[in-house]
Order: sequence, then C-alpha cells, then structure tokens
Amino acid sequence: MTGAMILIVEDDSQIRRFVRAALERDGLRVAEAQSRREGLIEAGRCRPELVILDLGLPDGDGADFVADFRAWSSAPVLVLSARSTEHDKIGVLDAGADDYLTKPFSVGELLARVRALLRRGRSHPEAEAAVVCFGDVEVDFSRRQVTRSGVRIKLTPIEYRLLATLITHAGKVMTHRHLLREVWGPVYSESSHYLRIYVGHLRHKLEADPAQPQHFLTETGVGYRFQL
Amino acid sequence: MTPRLLDKARPHASIWAYAGAALACAATAAAALPFQQRFDLPNIIMLFVMTVVLVAVKAGRGPAVLAAVVGVALFDFLFVPPRFSFAVTDAQYLLTFAVMLAMSLIVGQLTAGLRAKAQEADRREQIVRALYDLARKLAGAMSVEQVDEALRGFLADQAGARCWLLLAPDAERLVPAGGCPVELDHLDLHTAQGVCKGHRPVTSSALDEPGRSRHFLPLSGATRNRGVLVVSVPDGAGEIPPLLEALASLVSTAVERLHFVEVAHGAQLEAMSERLRSSILSALSHDVRTPLTALYGMADSLAMSRASLPAEAADTALAIRDQALRVSDMVGKLLDMARLRSGRVSLRREWQPVEEVLGASLKLLGPALDGHPIAITGLDVLPLLEFDAVLIERVLCNLFENAAKYSPPGSSIALEALARPAEVELRVCNAGEGFPPDRLDRVFDAFERGRPEGRVGGMGLGLAICRAIVEAHGGMIRAFNPPSGGACVAFTLPRGCPPSIEAETLPPEGEL
Repeated sequence: MTGAMILIVEDDSQIRRFVRAALERDGLRVAEAQSRREGLIEAGRCRPELVILDLGLPDGDGADFVADFRAWSSAPVLVLSARSTEHDKIGVLDAGADDYLTKPFSVGELLARVRALLRRGRSHPEAEAAVVCFGDVEVDFSRRQVTRSGVRIKLTPIEYRLLATLITHAGKVMTHRHLLREVWGPVYSESSHYLRIYVGHLRHKLEADPAQPQHFLTETGVGYRFQL
Repeated sequence: MTPRLLDKARPHASIWAYAGAALACAATAAAALPFQQRFDLPNIIMLFVMTVVLVAVKAGRGPAVLAAVVGVALFDFLFVPPRFSFAVTDAQYLLTFAVMLAMSLIVGQLTAGLRAKAQEADRREQIVRALYDLARKLAGAMSVEQVDEALRGFLADQAGARCWLLLAPDAERLVPAGGCPVELDHLDLHTAQGVCKGHRPVTSSALDEPGRSRHFLPLSGATRNRGVLVVSVPDGAGEIPPLLEALASLVSTAVERLHFVEVAHGAQLEAMSERLRSSILSALSHDVRTPLTALYGMADSLAMSRASLPAEAADTALAIRDQALRVSDMVGKLLDMARLRSGRVSLRREWQPVEEVLGASLKLLGPALDGHPIAITGLDVLPLLEFDAVLIERVLCNLFENAAKYSPPGSSIALEALARPAEVELRVCNAGEGFPPDRLDRVFDAFERGRPEGRVGGMGLGLAICRAIVEAHGGMIRAFNPPSGGACVAFTLPRGCPPSIEAETLPPEGEL
C-alpha cells in the first residue's frame, strides 16, 4: 500500500502536522485541507484513496462533505470526532463514512485504522471469499454453514443474514439504522432492540466470552463493528 | 372628549326648566293677545297646545305638565269672556278647559317620553362606543399597567367611577396592578380575597363613602381567577353597574392574554438561554479538546520513535502523553458534569441488554483496568432494560475505573447483577480498603473524594456524574462496604415494560 494518497481535512494545524508526520512515516502520501470547501476541491484534485475528516469543521457539517464526496468516490472516510457527539457520528456514518476515532486518539490507533480501511478499500477479500474465519469460527458462505471448533452451529435465517452483513462490512462501523434496514428491511429501522437481541445471540453462539466480545464490537450509541 | 353620562342623567329637570315653561306660556299668550279679535278661540287653544309640545321636547315631562296647567289658566284669564277674570259665564267652557288640559297633558307626556327614549338611546350608543374603544385599547395593551390605565380612564369618563385592578399571581395573593392602592383598606382587600376565591361578584354600599357603592368583580380566566376588579360607583350612574360584569370579562380576557404572552416569552427566553449554554459548552469542549488532541498526538508520535531518542527523553514523551490523556479525561468529566448539571440532558433511552453496554465499557477502559480481572455474575437472567447506552456506559466506566484505582494490584473486580421485581441492581465491588465509613453518603457529592489525602489522584467527579446519570434514569445509587471487605457501589435501573419480541424458529436441519 506504499504511496497511497491520504487527504486530511482538519482545521487545526497542529493536529494536521502530527497526523501528516505519522502517515508519512508509514510511507503514505498526504494532502491537506483546512475546510469543507477546500477539502472537496482538494479531493477532486488529488483523488485520495482515504480521507481523514474532522467533524468540527468551521464551514459546515461533516455529513455534507461525505455526501458530496460519496457522489463520485467510494474511497473510505475516517472521521475524527469529539466525545459526546454520538448523534453527529451517526449522521456522518449514515452519510457514508466508514469509521471514526474519538479525540484524543493515539497515533498507533490511527495508523491501525488507516491500514485496515486501505486494505478494505483496495479489495473486499472478506466479501468475496467463500470461507471466512475468525477466532475458532469458520463461516462457509457457499454452503451457508457456520462451524465453531469444527462443531456445526445452528443459526436462524435472521442471525445468518446479520452475520453475513457484518462480515461483508468487516472493519466498518455500521449504524443501528443501517443494519436494521439491511437485515430486517426498512419497516424495522426504529426497532433497534431486535438488532441488539440478535447481536447478543450471535455473541453467545460465536464469542468465547459474550460479555467481553472480541469480534462483534459495540460502538455505544452508534452501532456495531465486526472485527475479524 | 366623551361627555359624561352623569350630565345627561338628570332625574329631575331644574328650576330653570319650569320657569322657562311658564315663560313660554306667557310669551304665547302675549303673542296671541293682539289677534284676539280676529282668531277664534279654538285656534288660540292650538297655540297653547303647541307650546306644551315644544316645552315637552325641550324640557321634558315636568315642565310640560306645568305648561299645560299654566296654558289653560292663561287661556281662561285672557281669552275666555269675561276676560281678565277666571270666572266663566258659559258652562260649556268648562268642557273646553278639561279637554284642553287633557290634550295638553297627553301630547306633552307622549312627546316628553319620546324625547327621553331618544336621549337614552344616545346615552347607550355612547356607552357602547366607549366600551368598544376600551375593548380595542385592552386588546392592544402590552402590559397590565396599560390595562389598568385604560380601565380607569373609561370608568372616570363615563360615570365618575374609580377602580382598582388587583391581580392574583397565584391562588393565595392579590397584588395591585398599577402601583400601590392607598385607598383600599384592609377590609377591601379582605373582601376582594373572598371574591377571588368564591368566584362571585359582591356589591356593597357600606364599604364605600356615602353616595357611592363599591363593586367587587372576580376576573375569571380559563384556568383560574386572574384577580379582582374593585369599582367605586357614585349613586345615580344607573347605566354602569349592569355593565360591570361585561367590563370584568373584558379585563380578564386582557389580563389572561398578557399572562400567556408572558408565559410564552418566558419559555422563549429559557430556550434561548439553554441554546446559549449548550453552544458555550460545545464551543468550550471543541476549543479545549483540539489542543489536547494535538498535545497527546504529538507526545505519542515522539514516544513511538523512542528508539532514536535518549532514554530520558523517551520517558518524558511518555509522561507527557499520559498527562495529556489525564487532562483530557478531566476536561471530559467536567464537561459531562456541566451538561448534567444544566438539568436538561435528553436521554436517548432504548431497550437493550446490559451485557452489551458492559462489554463496551470494559473494552473502552482497556489498559485503564490495569490488569484487574473482572468477575461477572448474574447477567444471563437480566431482562432488557431501557436506558441511554452512552450514559450508562459512562457510569460503568467510572465505577470500574474507581474500583481499579482503589484496590491492590491484580485483585479482581466483581460485577454482580440482581434482578428484583421492579428494578435491576448492578454492583461493582473491589477488594480495596473500602470507603471511609463516615463519608459513605458524601462520596457522590461533586469534588468529594473517598480518601482526600490518598495517593490516588482525581477530581472527585466520577461518582457525582454517576449519580446524576442514574437519577436521570429514575434509579438510585449508593455506596457501601460489604462485611466481606472491599468497597461496593450499587445502582438500580427500573425494569419498566420491555417490548415484545417475535420469536424466530430454527429452520429444519440442513437448511440455514
């Protein structure tokens, strides 16, 4: 992934500076923009493979940027946000952003997310593979079979659909609304307790310790993230 | 200028009107006298009758009666032979006098009646116009003082009446609308109080000075009495008292309208100050967090390249990073507290399992747990609960963080869930020294720390935030030292009525 172009849209110059330094140390190319408007122009010019977007831009909503950007690019968007703004996060994720980091964040965490998103952006190995493994679980999409340590696990159709949706978007934060729409259909988009109960089922069937999950991660107040 | 009704409301014509009536008869007689030879007596009679009609039109009932009598007398004295004497030679003249008198009286009375009716219609029209004027003023009034002023003007102009507007800001008190009513004494206020509570008007002449009577009218609003209108009316202003109730309802409408305008204005102000407060909070949070993020990030970058740094510098970089994280955590807690203290946290309550938020908080804490193992019991029997996941996650994080901070390294932290009929209790316990027994109920106060002199740093906000969040959910939080040792914090969440879930059956074997 050497040389991938990353666009940072962030109004604080010090944050831009250390994020840029960390990315460049990792062998990535970096473009910068200070505002939403400038960011869109710069994105059009440098065609980034990933955008790091601050949610507190002075000239507008991050969700607008993502919506405009999504109109012509499917490159992943990583959002930097402050705590206590779950509502804004949901907005920007629903608009098409892929992941978020809460400020303050460590450089290691940032790089890990960037690498994961770039991997996803390049190809969708999880989505295309017929067999996906995580922990001691193996999911065989061609035969619609789930086994754990070689033992077959029975899943209901909804559980299977939810698992498949989560695996397809592995690494990406999925909002409650998005998952409900995809698995249950648009009528259920407000009944988030269904989703929570079914994620609970999957955890009990597939996680070693359902109370401290390693794969079906909760993004509190926002949604879920599946981690391989 | 509106003429006073009082001036027109003369119950009896003045002495001048009677004199005028007599004079008019004399003038008629004087005018007819030269033509006495040429005119027949019946024509002279007509002149006198016409005089009576004119007097009735101009001066009313009483003077018309006088004119009728004087006219007959003059006619007899001056025109009927023998002239210049009241003696009558021909008996038929007695009939003439009787008919003349009767006719004059009847025509005079009819005319005077018409005149009185016309005058009354005029007066009514004036009152209606003045009332309309008052209603317009009241509808446009921007304050209770303006209502009071318009009302005073109306009553003074129309009837020479005085009034006092007493408003009831609540069920117990009555306060004057336009300044202090010095003229109202204790008895007045007491009566007004009674009227306000009893919702019935009271009229009394005993409460007022002689020649006036005092009316107390309740101002009934849609929801409750808005106050009392006290009016002192002079006797003789006959048209005013029947109007007073209409007047009171006009005033109560105006006062009520002003009350609701005030309420709406207050709500608007509150919303504005709330918006201001939250925008200050979010601006503050953004402005403080941004440099902290940069500080933390830069220190972290430096620490990551520790291989190229002298050992001491690398340690310093790590220390800067950790301190930045601590400051950021404190700022977060302060802002949380400010937000919760503002009293207007909107909970995003949703039905969800406790297990999920527990897992999320343990993951979020990660290294802060410092290697303390967590022992969880009782989770599998819990029902769905309705809570704001973000806030309850904060409660659990704060409790686990405290439990880890105040317990020996490596000791385990227990999370226990108890399902009771109406609520669920969650307990976080550690194996530390326990809370100081004398401070158990104060540990939830802001800026209060269990062991202030202790080696562990902190602001004492964590538990205060927990309490605010739990209480916002309708739960309770308490701290105790269990007999088996250590410290426990327990909080409850109400069970409520969980939504029903349509069960899904497993598909037959082999099909997924």
